Amino acid sequence: MSGAARTVSVNRVDGRLKVTGAARYAADQPVERLAHGYLLLSTIARGTVRAMDVTAAESSPGVLAVYTPFRSLALLGSGTPFSVGHSWLPLQDAEVRYHGQAIGLVVAETFEQARDAAALVRADYEVRPAAVSFTDGIPTATDPGPFMGEPARLEFLADGVGSIDEALAASEVTVAGTYQQPGKHHSAMEPHACVAAWQDGALTLYTGTQSASLTVGTMAAALGVEAAKIRVVSPHVGGGFGNKIATWAHPLLAAAAARTLGRPVKVVLTREQTFTITGNRSAVRQTVRLGARRDGTLVAVKHQVWASQSASGGIFESSAHTTSRYLYRTENLHLDQKIVTLDVSPPTWMRAPGQESGSFALETALDELAAELRLDPVELRLRNDATVYPGRNVPWSSKHLAECYRVGAQRFGWARRNPAPGAVLRGEWLVGMGMATANYPGERFPASVNVRFRPDGDVSVSSATADLGTGMWTVLAVLGAEALGLPVARIRSDLGDSTLAANLGAFGSGATASTGPAVAVAAEAAITALITLAVTDERSPLHEVPAADVRYDRGELVTSDRRIGFPELLRTVSSPGVEATGTAGPGPEHGQHAFTSFGAHFCEVRVNRWTGEPRLSRMTTVVDGGAIINAKTARSQIVGGVIFGIGQALLEGATVEPQTGRIANGNFADYLLPVNADIPPIDVHFLDHPDLLFNPLGARGIGELGTVGVAAAIGNAVYNATGRRIRDLPITLDKLLD
Amino acid sequence: MRPFDYTAAQSVSQALAGGGAGTAYLAGGTTLVDLMKLEVMTPRQVVDINRLPLRGVSADRDGLHVGALERMSDVAGHPLVTGGYPVLAQALLRSASPQLRNMASIGGNLLQRVRCGYFRDTSTGCNKRRPGSGCPAVDGENRGHAILGTSDSCVATHPSDLAVALVALDARVRLVGRGGTRDVRLADFYLLPGDTPEREHDLRPGELVTRVTVPALAWATRSAYLKIRDRQSYEFALASAAVALDLRGGVVRDVRVAVGGVGTRPWRLPAVEEALRGRAARPEVFEAAAALAVEAARPLTHNGFKTTLLRRTIVRALTNLVG
Ligand SMILES: Cc1cc2nc3c(=O)[nH]c(=O)nc-3n(C[C@H](O)[C@H](O)[C@H](O)COP(=O)(O)OP(=O)(O)OC[C@H]3O[C@@H](n4cnc5c(N)ncnc54)[C@H](O)[C@@H]3O)c2cc1C
Ligand code: SF4
Repeated sequence: MSGAARTVSVNRVDGRLKVTGAARYAADQPVERLAHGYLLLSTIARGTVRAMDVTAAESSPGVLAVYTPFRSLALLGSGTPFSVGHSWLPLQDAEVRYHGQAIGLVVAETFEQARDAAALVRADYEVRPAAVSFTDGIPTATDPGPFMGEPARLEFLADGVGSIDEALAASEVTVAGTYQQPGKHHSAMEPHACVAAWQDGALTLYTGTQSASLTVGTMAAALGVEAAKIRVVSPHVGGGFGNKIATWAHPLLAAAAARTLGRPVKVVLTREQTFTITGNRSAVRQTVRLGARRDGTLVAVKHQVWASQSASGGIFESSAHTTSRYLYRTENLHLDQKIVTLDVSPPTWMRAPGQESGSFALETALDELAAELRLDPVELRLRNDATVYPGRNVPWSSKHLAECYRVGAQRFGWARRNPAPGAVLRGEWLVGMGMATANYPGERFPASVNVRFRPDGDVSVSSATADLGTGMWTVLAVLGAEALGLPVARIRSDLGDSTLAANLGAFGSGATASTGPAVAVAAEAAITALITLAVTDERSPLHEVPAADVRYDRGELVTSDRRIGFPELLRTVSSPGVEATGTAGPGPEHGQHAFTSFGAHFCEVRVNRWTGEPRLSRMTTVVDGGAIINAKTARSQIVGGVIFGIGQALLEGATVEPQTGRIANGNFADYLLPVNADIPPIDVHFLDHPDLLFNPLGARGIGELGTVGVAAAIGNAVYNATGRRIRDLPITLDKLLD
Repeated sequence: MRPFDYTAAQSVSQALAGGGAGTAYLAGGTTLVDLMKLEVMTPRQVVDINRLPLRGVSADRDGLHVGALERMSDVAGHPLVTGGYPVLAQALLRSASPQLRNMASIGGNLLQRVRCGYFRDTSTGCNKRRPGSGCPAVDGENRGHAILGTSDSCVATHPSDLAVALVALDARVRLVGRGGTRDVRLADFYLLPGDTPEREHDLRPGELVTRVTVPALAWATRSAYLKIRDRQSYEFALASAAVALDLRGGVVRDVRVAVGGVGTRPWRLPAVEEALRGRAARPEVFEAAAALAVEAARPLTHNGFKTTLLRRTIVRALTNLVG
């Protein structure tokens, strides 16, 4: 394949399966003799389980077993495998590290029997004082040590400047603000679930995962079984958002219980349980100080971050290192990340980890600077556009952020914005406009793909990657069709199975960028194998034709005087199929550039003049993500990302009770996610600038980009509408009442 | 869920024969089954009343009659309701979701339980669920809780939107028990929590709600329900107002104001109504009257904003109604 990928716009190949209910998610797998597990959760924040009374539960109808720290399941107690989401393995000790931690598993013939029996178990605790309040914990914050290859405290100063504060003090104009947001939960539509089935010492685990291969490694280590004996199957994942990368307590316990009971075991988390058994996004406080010249040139950026972390480990929000680190040109830059370690459930990656919160602070601060300077917010950003990656002095492979601003402003009608805050009243609504920048790194890792010509005329294109609703089923089909010159309908994609061609999975918005290039490599190799078969097999009409004289053309092998389709060839020689696996990955040249997707959001917000509720009325997002493979699923990714940001801006936030460590709103009635009525028309536009330095497709990732900056754009619009600057998310009506 | 016996009653008398303490009537089940799964409600018997003839929407000289088993969606779309009592239709349509409204009944709606998070979580105390176990909401998460009618024992808001509209319209409920039939004003039907938050209303064990009657009110054609919440659908009210105006020549001849999302029961505001009667329908008048709504308000740690919000909600609802 030469040049960048061609953009097509096709329906999801798995769409019909999903809307008809035929798609089998983890919990839908038909497995015989299935037993059902229900997790028991701690109801204190910290302490020790002294005893658990399981007598009533054990004699409850249908119950097969009740596992607790005192009647445990064998897992390797020492050393927790890397990709378990917390630093310990469940039920291996009686410690309670947070409210809602797994402390037991009831297994019964039916789900209802297991749940009913679970309600009969009584735990007796020795309670120890717990630190659960993020705000109270700020003074205890610590340095997390280096991460993402850089120190937690990172500083670049211009020659002769003694400190960042000196640079700020010397600036003609400065603004400063403290920005806060509560912890958040991924809330994927499909709750975490698994089915574990053993046969002859080998485990098949059906579970919704973003990485079948990481899950295999983790399960192998925890169960003390060779990786070769574990197969993870995950054809459909009902949303992951980063929370289905790590392995959580339920598959570990399900697999161990299935091994002990000699029966397959299914565990489906209730919605409430997903809030604490699986991961979350840190609560974050940030302080941003900007120093600029009167003309808007940034001189100093100081971005300090405090993110919640769990005493059980986890992935904290790295807000400054993912945004202020490189988003704007500045002579003096100071980033400082701290963590606040609490007795709460572990944070993990969550869509745009770091950028989500970082962009809220930085992009709001920029709006504050624009207001201070009486400069248009778009103009301020254009004046500070970075052309080289600060501190590394490498250029971007492909950066068209300035075009995002211009095209976005044009499509949205930004010129009609009244810069005076609180000046536009339409009926009973104050109306305002805001904008912000989006950024997300282009990530790429090595991946393999298998391409197989089948005698029935179809071609399978498969890889152990994942489709989280992201469109990977379709991308494999589209790229396979492109590489082989066949219609999409003749490609059978396959994914979500650890036994397929090696692939790390779907995260870091890197699935398409990593897997896509391998499709072409595998297709080339499969074509070579097909030609080899054609010229070497005696039964082949092309037997003994020199391979160099045979050309592949849209499913056929062609010589100067003959032409034979691959299905006919395969049938003629009685071949079950010809296949090849190809691998592609980033090369050493990757060090010479910075790879980032960019974008710009523009939005209009209405705030009721009486009752203060903020409502989004329209939104435009322009994306510089390199080549787009399938416009339809790509648009869905951006729209989904934007909606994620709308939740961040207006609704979402976990309320951890300071007295108990319990998440007071850990359910879908009280943890508010946007509903359709909250979502206005979203205009998505892709700039089409293939990034061929990044990969042969020219495609960078777009799965997370859409989220970044949305909250700031909305907050900036609220400011424009009302003159009120809300630095504390979510922006709810109580903060807008006088 | 605790094991229970299920029977389906074929007639009112059969239902009443099976009713009593430990028994729950099952209508749409959207409250009952939900709370049984959470083990917040643990009836030993469930009597399905869906086959009883408690249906129909009709009007006569006494007003509008709605059978207790009518579904929320059917009532919301009924021409007698949309035409004569827009406030009722709007209160229904702003409730829950289409799927829920298709299942949920009018009687069940009036008897739904509070949405307080502690009430719904059996790992915590709650005086309403387990009398004497305390009220963690007083010092805990109470952003959504009440500012009117609270006690030290319970501060939960009454959740029904429909009930607010019905209280504004002076509706009555018909209660049928083995001892006979009685009609009760809905405003009197609901009890303040006091020291007995487990007692929410004046329904005796085994009694059925059979119908709701809204007295005829010609000027209820000018009525509306305004519901304020964080998201635009599928959420209970932070504050709401059911208002009806009898307006002649820019002057308020008569008015009804009841509010929700702020009280431990649907809250009628006679003082506000009184302050509006005979006055010009102008924003200053509305604001002065609305201020009376919160005179007795007792805000908690997280819901102080509701005093302002409530006043504004009333003003906005009245202003919109004047048009
Ligand atoms: C997610 C969600 C969101 C919701 N949002 C809203 C909202 O925004 N606004 C709102 O007002 N409501 C809302 N609701 C509540 C909903 O309106 C009620 O659950 C519903 O109206 C109850 O009616 P039902 O017929 O399903 O009652 P059921 O669940 O069947 O019964 C409720 C109770 O009433 C008793 N009962 C029922 N009928 C009778 C009768 N005729 N006589 C005597 N006792 C009876 C039952 O025994 C039970 O105790 C929401 C509910 C859910 C689940
Ligand atoms: S407010 Fe009422 S329902 Fe809520 S915890 Fe207190 S007593 Fe229970």
